[in-house]
Amino acid sequence: MAHAQATFATRRPISAVARRKARRSVSARGRLPVLVLFLPAALILFTLFVILPMGEAAWYSLYRWNGYGQPTEFRALGNFQVLFNQAAFLTALKNNGLIILISIAVQIPLALWLATMLAYRIPGAVTFRLIFFLPYVLADVAAGLIWRFVYDGDYGLFAAAANMIGVPTPYVLADRHVAIYAILGVIVWKYFGFHMMLFIAGLQSMDRHVLEAAEIDGATGWQRFRYVTLPMLGSTVRLSIFFAIVGSLQLFDMIMPLTGGGPSNSTQTMVTFLYTYGVMRMQVGFGSAVGVVLFIICVTMAFGYKRIFMRND
Amino acid sequence: MTDASSGRRVGAGTRLYLYISLTVIAALVLLPLVTTALGGFKSLGDLRVNPFGLPNEWHVENYTDILFGQRYWRQMANSLIIALLTVFLTLVVSATAAFAFAHVRFFGSGALLNYFLIGLMFPAATAILPLFIRIRDLGLLDTYWGVVLPQVAFGLGMSILLFRNYFRSLPSELFDAAFVDGCGYIRFFWYISLPLARPMIATVAIISFVGSWNSYILPLIMLNTETRYPWPLGIMVYRGEFNTDWQLILAFITLTILPTIIAFFLAQKHIIAGLTAGAVKS
Amino acid sequence: MASVELRNVSKAYGEVAVIHDISVEIQDGEFVALVGPSGCGKSTLLRMIAGLEDITDGDVAIADKVVNELTPRERNIAMVFQSYALYPHMTVAENMGFNLKLAGKTREEVSRQVAQAAQMLDLTGLLERKPSQLSGGQRQRVAMGRAIVRDPAVFLFDEPLSNLDAKLRVQMRSEIKMLHQRVGTTSIYVTHDQVEAMTLADRIVVLNAGMIEQVGTPLELYRQPANLFVAGFIGSPAMNFLEAVIEPAKGDARSARLEDGTSIRLHPGSRVEPGLEVTLGLRPEHLSPGKRKDLSGRIRMIEPTGAQTHVTFELSGRPLTAIVDGSFPVTLDTPFNAAVAPDQVHVFDRSTGLSLR
Repeated sequence: MAHAQATFATRRPISAVARRKARRSVSARGRLPVLVLFLPAALILFTLFVILPMGEAAWYSLYRWNGYGQPTEFRALGNFQVLFNQAAFLTALKNNGLIILISIAVQIPLALWLATMLAYRIPGAVTFRLIFFLPYVLADVAAGLIWRFVYDGDYGLFAAAANMIGVPTPYVLADRHVAIYAILGVIVWKYFGFHMMLFIAGLQSMDRHVLEAAEIDGATGWQRFRYVTLPMLGSTVRLSIFFAIVGSLQLFDMIMPLTGGGPSNSTQTMVTFLYTYGVMRMQVGFGSAVGVVLFIICVTMAFGYKRIFMRND
Repeated sequence: MTDASSGRRVGAGTRLYLYISLTVIAALVLLPLVTTALGGFKSLGDLRVNPFGLPNEWHVENYTDILFGQRYWRQMANSLIIALLTVFLTLVVSATAAFAFAHVRFFGSGALLNYFLIGLMFPAATAILPLFIRIRDLGLLDTYWGVVLPQVAFGLGMSILLFRNYFRSLPSELFDAAFVDGCGYIRFFWYISLPLARPMIATVAIISFVGSWNSYILPLIMLNTETRYPWPLGIMVYRGEFNTDWQLILAFITLTILPTIIAFFLAQKHIIAGLTAGAVKS
Repeated sequence: MASVELRNVSKAYGEVAVIHDISVEIQDGEFVALVGPSGCGKSTLLRMIAGLEDITDGDVAIADKVVNELTPRERNIAMVFQSYALYPHMTVAENMGFNLKLAGKTREEVSRQVAQAAQMLDLTGLLERKPSQLSGGQRQRVAMGRAIVRDPAVFLFDEPLSNLDAKLRVQMRSEIKMLHQRVGTTSIYVTHDQVEAMTLADRIVVLNAGMIEQVGTPLELYRQPANLFVAGFIGSPAMNFLEAVIEPAKGDARSARLEDGTSIRLHPGSRVEPGLEVTLGLRPEHLSPGKRKDLSGRIRMIEPTGAQTHVTFELSGRPLTAIVDGSFPVTLDTPFNAAVAPDQVHVFDRSTGLSLR
């Protein structure tokens, strides 16, 4: 041993540098093939169909262009100027805000209330959960059409209900002051079950001994909810609100069968506005400007919200 | 309500209040669906005077006409093809990429992962016009791939993140043991990671299938031949054609959402877990 | 089978060095334990031998061949992990045969070798089970089966018993020992449990903060700990330490004075100078109660374990532990007198921590 060490010591200074250079890490072997095999497909797809289009949207938004040939008619920020002077777009912005507000003020409390009832083993809990979640798995288009029927002034449930109690038939989707609220109702109907499931998952992952400890400490039912359950569900609530925001910003599929953005643009959202004024009229530059604004709002919301509210989650 | 949450000693009064609330809400949730399905059996006149009740006369032909026609089945088939292509491509592309992010250390891996996560922040709608032009220029307009490729691409951020987190949650000693047993990265992926990731494969498959099955805006923009329409587009066309023949529209709606509802009740556990846990875990 | 040699092995993560210039030679067929407190680098060292961690500097040689850049498989080592790391989706047979399958052996060959190993470890009836259907001890045995099935040059054990309960641990310990006696493969065994190291190993390497404190047979470490660290680490309950100053020599006799004035006789061979500040080490089992009052103090705590009783008494304001026979009468708050044989007193230089014997 001592001998081996001694000979080594004399050899070391010469070879140390060379050896360090030659040394390849064992785990590095085989890395290249796996990277070459596993990454490019995702990278190409993502770049080609997500990143480049987004970059192009920014580029096209500075032009007036019908999508054929090359964009040549440079308008600088003209598209944006027009956009922010358009009443319909401002309505769309307002509507998106309203949807977020309703989600937070109505949908999430409703979901939370139901979750506290259904998170534990009471008879029938599973069935109720299924029923409440069902609208969420239906397509927005189908939900929109179903509610188009419900709200229909001639054949729908609202009309029949109004007849029964003898009031004049409301044409809710045709009334520009009412239509957006009718849509908000559909949104709550379709999405509260999803939030409820999030809360149930959150409640079930909670340590129930904590609730029992609170009970032993003498907390009443409401106090237990207010001071124990709710704070412990904090991260789920913040996540839930995040999904409500993201969902609202992309709302399109449901509006189309219900109102298509009408009457007189009163139910436009940003995406239906983009579709109506950008896609339908093939105004690539203007539509892209809407896309850019939507992108900026999405990213700011996502970043801002995560930074401010979900820092510790 | 929190008496229920501790699961014991629920008084009769509380219990009554609890079940009444639940039943009322459940009725409100189901009412539109049930009246839709029943409405499909009515005549238009019957629907007008009696939208809530059972049909006076069961017009089964509203349904059978659709079922014996081509249109409904063609739309279902289109939706199914698009959804299956989307699921398959999503799984292959995202599981492999996620594996690289989870287990292979390489320069810039963090930055590259963040690059993919940009996709989580905005919907396809923001870039829909340039996307249309790209698909057109690639000659993919009015093909299934024109819908599938953007759909997969926009789902990549979420599915890569889900897979990566899952791969990372596997105990690292498993990786060591496989390495000692003679696995390289690729064999480890094939023999260990992938079989163990079956729950996550199911989750990602469900998320991308449901997303594709229900999607509207991408096919709306990329497809223009009616024979290639998936059902959400098809049903809108149908509604446009039959305009106020609500009984036919309702029957058509019922039949189009029926597969979803059946699948939901057959695989409720997996679907609920997939759609919510998927959201939470990313 | 093969020898293993570490030559000036070092490991650093960036600027942080975790293994400092370690050299050890392990003979063919030897069972060596790497022991030390958590964070001492013993697992890292084992993983470097395995090829799971890169070596920052120095060489690892197996069978006289430098293997720094070889994969674990090419090094022909097998490893048993702390969590067993069984593949949850494979049966016991598949787990054990996986490395053979990867090596391209035929199906018949794999099942023959698996059956052979299973028989040796009493796993034959469990071959079709999944790991989740096995008890802790069975999983442990499968992990060992996976290692021996391929007949490797070296076995590496990374705290393989620490997830078992106390009783099973003792049982599996003897199984490992018997297995080694049967197959005779060179084994390197990492543990933080010095009892495990003492009972299993031919030689023990005591590591602390990435450096070797001492290498030796279990009895060498027990009888002649080279420094305070090894003295305190080996033996349970731990050695008692007392601060003392060497008294002027009287002929051949050497002695040291404690703070309270008690004088303790030392082994005549101790290399000490009068006035030197030292730390004396006394093993609890060497403090025998009796008439001779080399040490004496009030009893502060009594912990019966059955065969023996641990007695804590106070000497110059410090607690000292002694082990007495279970039948020996002791009472709380009464004086305890202990005799100390001079050749069982360990003397360490207080400034360097090194043994002065």
